[in-house]
Amino acid sequence: MPRIALATESRFDPVPAKLAIKDLSKAFGGRAGVTAIDNLSLEVRAGEFVSIVGPSGCGKSSLIRIVAGLDAEFEGDVHLAHANPGRLLTAMVFQEQSNFPWMTVRENVSYGLRMIGRLDAEGRKRVTEYIAKVGLARFENAYPHQLSGGMRQRASVARAFAADPEILLMDEPFGALDEQNKVLLHDELIRIWEETRKTVLFITHSIDEALVLSDRVVVMSARPGRIKDAFEVPFERPRSVMAVKADPRYGQLFKRVWDALRDEVLRTRCGEERGGE
Amino acid sequence: MSRDSTVADAGGRVVGDFRIIERTKKVPGPQERTFERGLGIVTPLAFVLLWEFAARAGWIDLRFFPAPSAVLSETWRLLRAGDLVAHIGASLSRVTVGFLVGAVPAVGIGMAMGLNRYIRAALQPMIDATYPIPKIAILPLVLLVFGLGESGKYAILAIGVFFQVVITTAAGVAAIDRVYFDVARTFGVGRLALARTVVLPGALPVIFAGMRLGIGTALLLVIAAEMVAAKSGLGFLIWQSWQLFAVEEMYAGLMTISLTGLTIFQLLRALETRMLRWRPINVQ
Ligand SMILES: Nc1ncnc2c1ncn2[C@@H]1O[C@H](COP(=O)(O)OP(=O)(O)OP(=O)(O)O)[C@@H](O)[C@H]1O
Ligand SMILES: [Mg+2]
Repeated sequence: MPRIALATESRFDPVPAKLAIKDLSKAFGGRAGVTAIDNLSLEVRAGEFVSIVGPSGCGKSSLIRIVAGLDAEFEGDVHLAHANPGRLLTAMVFQEQSNFPWMTVRENVSYGLRMIGRLDAEGRKRVTEYIAKVGLARFENAYPHQLSGGMRQRASVARAFAADPEILLMDEPFGALDEQNKVLLHDELIRIWEETRKTVLFITHSIDEALVLSDRVVVMSARPGRIKDAFEVPFERPRSVMAVKADPRYGQLFKRVWDALRDEVLRTRCGEERGGE
Repeated sequence: MSRDSTVADAGGRVVGDFRIIERTKKVPGPQERTFERGLGIVTPLAFVLLWEFAARAGWIDLRFFPAPSAVLSETWRLLRAGDLVAHIGASLSRVTVGFLVGAVPAVGIGMAMGLNRYIRAALQPMIDATYPIPKIAILPLVLLVFGLGESGKYAILAIGVFFQVVITTAAGVAAIDRVYFDVARTFGVGRLALARTVVLPGALPVIFAGMRLGIGTALLLVIAAEMVAAKSGLGFLIWQSWQLFAVEEMYAGLMTISLTGLTIFQLLRALETRMLRWRPINVQ
């Protein structure tokens, strides 16, 4: 029986996890369909920043959608600990462009707060703050079609942050960004995260990004997705992108993660050459 | 634009022959645009002048094709007598009421169909089966049911508009990108707020296209209904002028219908531009 439970305490761990996924499986399209996720278990502690890297099509988006409550058709258990029922539990940054074309940047960023009834003076202040943080202050009255792809992506990051959720779910949020803005946003994200210490589940295809941002990097296997390996990221906080990259341990860790990932990427490619299965 | 050239390296030696291609830039200047707009006015004007000349020279049969000047003076006469304004008013009020009675529920039902598969499953086959019936074919039935008064005209117009708008609205809602619904769901948005913030604005461009079709249908039906079952309105004016063989009056009626229709479409377009400011300009 698939079950999403909201609990103050996890049932199956002495250390209470903010997010606990146990034996999660997900299949698409009935009997002849694809198994996207196979028996995946993962725990994220409160205030932990966890990145998931994995080959394309291994079920990362499927996983995060289940956690976000957007997909209720799965097997296994997903537990989320909602500490403050007055606050939003999860907010998501989508992989694809997701700003409403009929709303300005400001309306888009305010949307979450407006919908949960928290667009008061304080909420509006936070909207202004996050629009500025992602560098869109001059564009707050622009419509999405007037922005570049990267600017739109930054707007959706601001929307999720402004809603002030307990758990942030980010599905390749910087995938469409240029390298320079990425570095700036990484530093900004590190700073915001170190201030707020939100629980973050962050999906990326970039080992580099995962190492710079997170406390733990989880490598997923090729489809059907399982957890292949996990790496603690030792760089001390407060961090900066440049300090992490200058650290001698960075290269070693990068190689270890890549070694775990490479086989999976190769398996995906072989699978595709044989016709997708 | 191109020219042949040789290219030398840093030392001045010729390293090869090339044809230099220069991408031409072209920006339509203000003159060009004025010319385009001018063409749209000059061509019909020339046509009317030719018509006038042909009428005076006796090349065409004035019983069927009266001179434009004669039509204009007839129009002026009708205007001064107050008939024309009364007819326009009668037709316009029928179009307005019929359109609203048809379009408002159509938007609501179309949205429900686009959102809920069971509502769609229940209504779509019925709509698909009845949509192809030319609405003029059911005009006698509607007049039978609703009588010869205003309600009969409202009803036939409302039916015609309803079909156009309900089908386009449902299609417009179904075409909204799923990710926008997902965004709303992540914030726990309820049904009503979803309709207001996602469904209606997302489908609005298509709904407007449906309303333009609906206005076209409404104009067609109001004229048809007035020809057979009214003592006022532009359709009645044209029918009556045929019976009295008042050809100039008939042309006056035709011209008025054309101008009225044009005005309605312009108003709708203005409303659309206002409400869809978020769309890229070149799409409109
Ligand atoms: N709605 C769907 N219907 C059928 N199959 C789907 C659907 N969504 C995803 N899949 C399949 O599930 C698998 C995992 O997809 P998913 O989108 O989770 O991958 P991903 O890890 O996010 O990939 P990427 O890194 O490219 O975004 C893929 O093989 C895909 O074909
Ligand atoms: Mg994905």
